[in-house]
Amino acid sequence: MSGGPAVRVSIESQCERQVQEVSLDGLETYVPPLSMSQNLAKLAQRIDFDQSSDSEQESREPRSALKFQPSLWPWDSVRNNLRSALTEMCVLHDVLSVLKDKKYMALDPVSQDPSTPQVFQLISKKKSLATAAQLLLKGAEKLTKSLAENQEQRRQRDFNSELLRLRSQWKLRKLGHKILGDLSYRSAGSLFPHHGTFEVIKNTDIDLDKKVPDDYCPLNVQIPSDLEGSAYIKVSIQKQSADIGDLGTVSLFRRQPKAKPASQMWHLKLEAAQNVLLCKEIFAQLSREAVQIKSQIPHIVVKNQILSQPFPGLQLSISLCHSTGEKKIQRASPDKSKPDDHLYVLEHNLHQLIREFHKQTLSSVVMPHPASSPFGHKRLRLAGPMAYDKAEISSLQQSEGLLEKIIKQAKHIFLRSRSIQLQLNIGVEQIRVVHRDGRVVTLSHQEQELQDFLLSQMSQHQVHAVQQLAKVMGWHVLSFSNHVGLGPIESIGNASAITVASPSGEHTISVRNGPESGCKVLVQFPRSQAKELLKSDVLQEGRWTHLRGPYREVHWGRMEGRNFVYKMELLMAALTPCP
Amino acid sequence: LSIDTICKVLSSNFTVLLIFFGTGSVLDQSLESLLHRLRGLCDNMEPESFADHELVYLLKGQQGNPFMLRGRRSLLHPTAPWHLRYLGQPEVGDKSRHALVRNCVDVAASHSLPEFLNEMGFRMDHEFVAKGQVFRKGAMKVVVSKLLRVLATGNTENTEPLSLSYIVELSVLAPAGQDFVSEDMRSFAEQLKPLVHLEKIDPKRLM
Repeated sequence: MSGGPAVRVSIESQCERQVQEVSLDGLETYVPPLSMSQNLAKLAQRIDFDQSSDSEQESREPRSALKFQPSLWPWDSVRNNLRSALTEMCVLHDVLSVLKDKKYMALDPVSQDPSTPQVFQLISKKKSLATAAQLLLKGAEKLTKSLAENQEQRRQRDFNSELLRLRSQWKLRKLGHKILGDLSYRSAGSLFPHHGTFEVIKNTDIDLDKKVPDDYCPLNVQIPSDLEGSAYIKVSIQKQSADIGDLGTVSLFRRQPKAKPASQMWHLKLEAAQNVLLCKEIFAQLSREAVQIKSQIPHIVVKNQILSQPFPGLQLSISLCHSTGEKKIQRASPDKSKPDDHLYVLEHNLHQLIREFHKQTLSSVVMPHPASSPFGHKRLRLAGPMAYDKAEISSLQQSEGLLEKIIKQAKHIFLRSRSIQLQLNIGVEQIRVVHRDGRVVTLSHQEQELQDFLLSQMSQHQVHAVQQLAKVMGWHVLSFSNHVGLGPIESIGNASAITVASPSGEHTISVRNGPESGCKVLVQFPRSQAKELLKSDVLQEGRWTHLRGPYREVHWGRMEGRNFVYKMELLMAALTPCP
Repeated sequence: LSIDTICKVLSSNFTVLLIFFGTGSVLDQSLESLLHRLRGLCDNMEPESFADHELVYLLKGQQGNPFMLRGRRSLLHPTAPWHLRYLGQPEVGDKSRHALVRNCVDVAASHSLPEFLNEMGFRMDHEFVAKGQVFRKGAMKVVVSKLLRVLATGNTENTEPLSLSYIVELSVLAPAGQDFVSEDMRSFAEQLKPLVHLEKIDPKRLM
């Protein structure tokens, strides 16, 4: 209906069929198109037969003005749209052709927003980033600060808990900023003038981020320099006296005892230092006494050794062995060939004695009553009012010093070791007895066995004693038997017997000693002294009367003497007339 | 015996100085904490309690100050001897020295001391009873005592406290010429500081 030439428009309907089904292999099955009769049926269904033709007439009238009836033409909307599109396109075409001439119309670019320069963008980005970064940094700083504080607190807590542990075992006091401690025995009664002060040092400077060493401890102690290392008092008894050149060079050191695993390093250090101090005190006391006390054989004090002679030919050496642990003693000590003859018992006793001495200064006997009187033993305070003389006062004083006591103990040990005949090795199930002459006897656990064995040994020992005594007194041993076959049978062991003759031959003593039957002593006198012998004609000469005659028993229980040996000695002496 | 002989004795070689470092006092309610601290600081012993009866004798001479002697006996240990003490004037020495130093003569006496002093011309000026505890640290003696007034002369059963506090005395006996122990005493007094302040007391001010 437009003025221009008709435009041919091609229309094609989309003849798309609906997909009825898609099989499993992807084949699509379309809904078959409706056939003619089906289509007709479909359309017929749409007809509303109720509406009569009257309504058709009525509607036709107002619509007769219209050129076309839209209800009969389904492509109407399409046509309208196309028409308007064509109109638009024609207009556009016209406008563009007019613009081409540039006479009546011109193009002007539309004003755009001014674009922000690159530099400005950069600066603003930088600022915003900087603000964000600052916030993050602040947060990070706070976190690191709190972490560092936690670490520091942990270190401090560790230090404080260690300090608490230290305080539970050692005396501490605060002096200004320093924490000092006392490791001496002064509060336990010692009068040694060493101060014994140690200092507690904080050791919290280590970096907890790095690997912590295994023996790290936040607390360290600094001990006085002269108490470093470890020490012990070596007490030994030698048969021969040492060379003069070897005096004062005792340096044999024994290995350290294993430390308890639970104890801290500071505890070990402090204990070692305290031990050194105690050894020094013991040695100082001993050397003071050695110099002051007058004895028959003077004691020698050389450097770190005290030498004395309890018996002639026997030497007791007490020395203070202090090793600072810095350099090992390279020189082979002359004692190395001998086994370690250090007497642990005497060293222990020295420690006990000095502690006893400490306790005495603290005993309540020293405390003053009335309170204004000076400290001192309460019995000594009576010396004035009771008018004690010098002898009484000296009896009140400490009679024996440390040195004398130790010498006495050494003497006892020596004598004991000299006179031991048997050595008892007490095992778990058996007792092994080693005799001095090499015999070994194994006994079971029953104590009766041991008792019986000891009884039998005792009786044998007495007979042996007679043998020794005879040697000393000059008597001759005529017969000696450890196990006699005569006489009553003993239930324990065997009886032993010995017969000894006097130097002049006039008397003999015969001893039979059994563990059960006891001791029987018989003495044989010369015939001349036997009154009950009848004179006979067989013996013509008088010299036969000097021969020994009958035996007489001795009432051993009535003999004078403290023990068997004394009695025997007395008997022998009595039977040996003076020339 | 007269004052001259006594003075001769005093000037002989065996005099001893008594250094009274300090005297302080502590109220009754603070006694427990003080005793606790002393137990910790002093030598490790059981605390020793005492109860003493002290008599102060004066001999009034013709000139100057009367001569004073103190006799003390223990009420807990009646068989222990009496203790007679003479304390001289404070030594005039270093003013900065923190301790009070006096001459001291201590003598143990038998139980006939009061009669003996009476015969000599001394008259009892006053008496009191002191009860408390004694501590020691090395050579130092710390005495914490409560002073009780004797109501009837010679009757030590009937007493009443002189004050509501205990007197604390720290002292050392040292031979003449040696007074460097004051350093130890000063540090000891420091350690008692907040509980009791031990100070040097001038006896002349009290007389």
